[in-house]
Amino acid sequence: MTTLDTTTAITSTPKLREPVGRRRIIGILTVILGLFILLAFGVGSAAGAHSQFTFTPVNTSSGAPWHLAPLTLLTRWSNIVLGLITILVGVETWVRRPAGALVRFGVGGVLFFIALLLWSCRQPGPAPVSSLNFTSVLIGSLSIAMVLIYGSLSGVLCERAGVVNIAIEGQFIGGALAGAMIDSVTNSFWLAALVGILVGALIGWLLALLAVRYVADQIIIGVVIVTLMGSISSYLNIQVLAPYPNLNVGNNASNVAIPLISKIPIVGPALFNETMFFYAAIVLVALISFGLFRTRWGLRVRSVGEHPKAAESVGISVARVRYSTVILGGAVAGLGGVAFIAVQGQFQPGITSGYGYIALAAMIFGKWKPSGAVVASLLFGVSAYLVDALQNENVPIPTEFMTMFPYLVTIAVVAGLIGRVRPPASDGVPYKRD
Amino acid sequence: MTNEPAASPTDTPVDVARDVSTPATRGWWARYSSTSPITLTVLALILGVVIGAFIIMVTSAPILDSWRYSFHHLGSIGSTLKLTFDTVAAAYRAMVTGSIIDPTLFFHSISTGQGWDQTLTPISETLTYATPLVIASIGVGIAFQTGIFNIGANGQAILGAIAGTAMASMIHLPMIVHLPLTLIAGILGGAVCGMVPGVLKAYTGAHEVIVTLMFNYVVNAILIYVLTSTALQLPGQSNDISRNFDSTATLNPLFGTKSGLRVSYGIFVAAAVVIFAIWFLKRSSLGFDFRITGANPNAARASGINPKTIVLTVFLVSGGLSGLAGIVQAASTTHYIDGGFLIGSAGIGFTAITIALLGRLQPIGIVWGSLLFAALGVGGRAMQAATGIPLDLATIIQSVVVLFVASPVLITEIFRLRSSAESFQLANKGWGS
Repeated sequence: MTTLDTTTAITSTPKLREPVGRRRIIGILTVILGLFILLAFGVGSAAGAHSQFTFTPVNTSSGAPWHLAPLTLLTRWSNIVLGLITILVGVETWVRRPAGALVRFGVGGVLFFIALLLWSCRQPGPAPVSSLNFTSVLIGSLSIAMVLIYGSLSGVLCERAGVVNIAIEGQFIGGALAGAMIDSVTNSFWLAALVGILVGALIGWLLALLAVRYVADQIIIGVVIVTLMGSISSYLNIQVLAPYPNLNVGNNASNVAIPLISKIPIVGPALFNETMFFYAAIVLVALISFGLFRTRWGLRVRSVGEHPKAAESVGISVARVRYSTVILGGAVAGLGGVAFIAVQGQFQPGITSGYGYIALAAMIFGKWKPSGAVVASLLFGVSAYLVDALQNENVPIPTEFMTMFPYLVTIAVVAGLIGRVRPPASDGVPYKRD
Repeated sequence: MTNEPAASPTDTPVDVARDVSTPATRGWWARYSSTSPITLTVLALILGVVIGAFIIMVTSAPILDSWRYSFHHLGSIGSTLKLTFDTVAAAYRAMVTGSIIDPTLFFHSISTGQGWDQTLTPISETLTYATPLVIASIGVGIAFQTGIFNIGANGQAILGAIAGTAMASMIHLPMIVHLPLTLIAGILGGAVCGMVPGVLKAYTGAHEVIVTLMFNYVVNAILIYVLTSTALQLPGQSNDISRNFDSTATLNPLFGTKSGLRVSYGIFVAAAVVIFAIWFLKRSSLGFDFRITGANPNAARASGINPKTIVLTVFLVSGGLSGLAGIVQAASTTHYIDGGFLIGSAGIGFTAITIALLGRLQPIGIVWGSLLFAALGVGGRAMQAATGIPLDLATIIQSVVVLFVASPVLITEIFRLRSSAESFQLANKGWGS
C-alpha cells in the first residue's frame, strides 16, 4: 500500500475524483445492498421457511475427527438481521466516510453471499429435509479462486513491467491442455506442472517477442493469442485427444492434508487439505509480493513499467527486464492452467470459460498488487462458484446478474465510482530506444 | 555504390548496397519486395498457410505412421512424401473449392446449364459470412482511426441483435417500415451499448479497453437473461431461444428461398456501410475531426475539437455499426437468436478487430480482409467435411496471419524486405497512458 502510494503521488492527475465523495457513494451502495438483502432474501421468503447448513465435508477420507451439528435457522429472520447489519454498516460509511470504506463494502458483500446461500437452501416446512453443505461451498469457491490467483499474479507481473497481458486465458488453455496430456501419460502432476510452466512460458515468450522486440500492439496480440490457443486446443482435441483417449484420462490431483491444522472445523478441510497447487499459489503470492516490493529485482521491474526511459538511463536493460518478467508471468499462468485441470479432471475445449478474463478483472480490481489480486480473486471465485451452484435454484436475483458481478465491479472501479485504481504509467506502451 | 544516385531518399545504406548487387531486379520486384501493405498481407497469409500445413503434418496419424515406417525403410520415403503432400493438398484444395468455386462443378454447370445453385453455394456462403464482418470491422476501424480501441464490438453486436430481435418479433408491420425499423433498432442497441464505455471514458477517464472488454461479458449475461424472459423467449420453450422474426423483418435471400443460396440483401446493407464509411472518413467534417484526433490528439484539442464530444460520437458510430452487424447477422441467416449467438468462437467482435487491422482501417481494405476471413471460415467447414481435419485449422491460420500483420517488423526481418514509406504500424495504446 505505502510503496504504491509513493509512486501514485508523483504522477497523479488532477482529474481524479475527490475521495470523500467516493466514500459516500460506497456507503450508499452498501445501504442499497442491505435493502436488497432485507427485502429480497428476508421479507421475500415465506414466514415459516427454514435453512439448514451442514459443515461436515462430503469427502471425509482425510479422517476429520469432528462432527459439527447442522445449523438450522429461520430464513426470513436471519436474512432480515443480515440486511439490517449491512444497512447499518452502509449508513455508518455514508455519514462518517471512514478510510476503510471499501472494506465495509466488502463486509456487506460477504453478508450478501451468506444471505443468498440461506435463501437458496430454504425449505418451506418447519423440518428441513435438505441442507446446504457450507464447507463444500467454501472448497468449491477456493478451487476457482486458486485459478484466478494464478492468472491475476501473471497479470500483475507482466503489467508491472509495462506489458499488458490479455493473453492470460490463452496461457491457461495451453497449461491446461499440456497438463492434462502429460499427467495422463506419466500419471504425475509434478511433471504436468513442469510442462505446463514451460508451455505458459513459451506463450509468454511469444507475447514478449511480439510486444517488446517487434513493438506490436499488445492488446491486439493478446486477443489473438487467446484465439490462437483456443483454436489450437479445439483442433488438438478433435485430431489427437479424441482418437487417443488415454491422453486425456482426467485424473485429479490428490489432496495433501497438513497435519493437525487440517482438522480445524470448516477452515481445515477448505484451506489445509488441498492440492499442492493451492499451497503453491499461496507461496507464489508471498514470493511475488515480496519480490516486487522488497527486492532490487522488483524495483527494476516496477521502474521499467513506470518510466522505462529513466530505468534505461541508470543502466537497466528495459527489453531484458520486460522479456524475463513476461516469460515468468506466462509460466505462472501456465501453472494456473495445470492447477485448473488438476481440480477439474478432463480437458475439453473452452473448459477455462473466460476465467482468464475474470483473472484480468481481479488484477485490475486488486490495483495491480498481488495482495489486492488475492482479495479480488477470492471475491470473484465465490461469485463464480455460486453462479454454477445456483444455476437451477430459483434465486430472486437471476444468476446472469451474478455472472456480470466481477466485470461490473471492475468497470465501476476503473471509472472511479467505487475505489480508485491506477495502472503502471507505461503499461502497454512499447519502449523504443532512440 | 558509386553509380547509384540515391534511388530513393528512404533507402537505408544497406538496401542501396543490395540493389547495386542485383541491378536487374529494380522495377516491379523492388516495389513488391518493400513493405507495402499488400506485400505484408500476402506474405503473412503464406506464412499462415505454411504453419497450417505443418500443423496438419504433425497431427495426422497416417502421416506420422508413414514417416515412422520410412525411418526404418528408407526406400519408402517417396511414398511418404507423396502421402504428406497429398493430405495437405487435399485439405487446402477442399478449403478453396469449398469457399470460392469448385472447377468441376463450374464446368458441369457451364456445359449443361444445370446445377448452378450447387456451383454457387460456396461463394454465396462466403458472402453471407463476410456481410456482418464488413459492417462490424468498419465500425471498429473508424474507432481505431480516432485512436480509440473498441474491443467491445461483440457485445455491441449482441445488444444490437437483441434490440433488433425485439423489434422484428414483437411488433407487426408491413415490410416497407418493419425491416428498416428492425435495422435501426439494431443500430440503436449497439449505440447504447457503445455509449457505456464512451460516457465512462469522457467523464471519468476510465480506459475504454478495460471497459469494453469487461462489458462484452456483461452483455453475454444480458443475452441469456433476455432470452429466458417471457417477453422475448419463444413461447413454449424453456431453452434460451428467441421468438422468430416476422417474415416482414428479414433480409431475404437474393435469389429467392427456393434456390438454397443464402446470400441475402444484407450485402446491400454492407455496401451502403462501406460507401458511408468512405464518405464519412474522407468527406465529412466529423470524420475529419476523427482522423485529426487519431493522428494527433493535442493538435486536435488545440484547434478547438472537443475531445469529449469526439469520444462520445466515436462510440456512437462504432457501436451503432457493430449493432447493425449483429442484427444483419440474425436477420439474414437464422431469423432468431439463441444463447450461443456470437458467443465464444462464433463471435465476430474479436474477428472484426483483426480484420480492421488487416484492412489497414480503410473501408476497401476491410472488405478484402472480411472476404478473406469469411472464405477461410467457410473453407474450413468444407475441409472438415471433406477430409476430417478440424475446421479450427482455419481459425489457427487466421490468428497466425493477424499475428504477423500486427507485427510488420517481424515479416520485414523474415523476408528481408526493404522498408518503404507506405509501411503501416498501428499506433500502440496501453492502459497506462
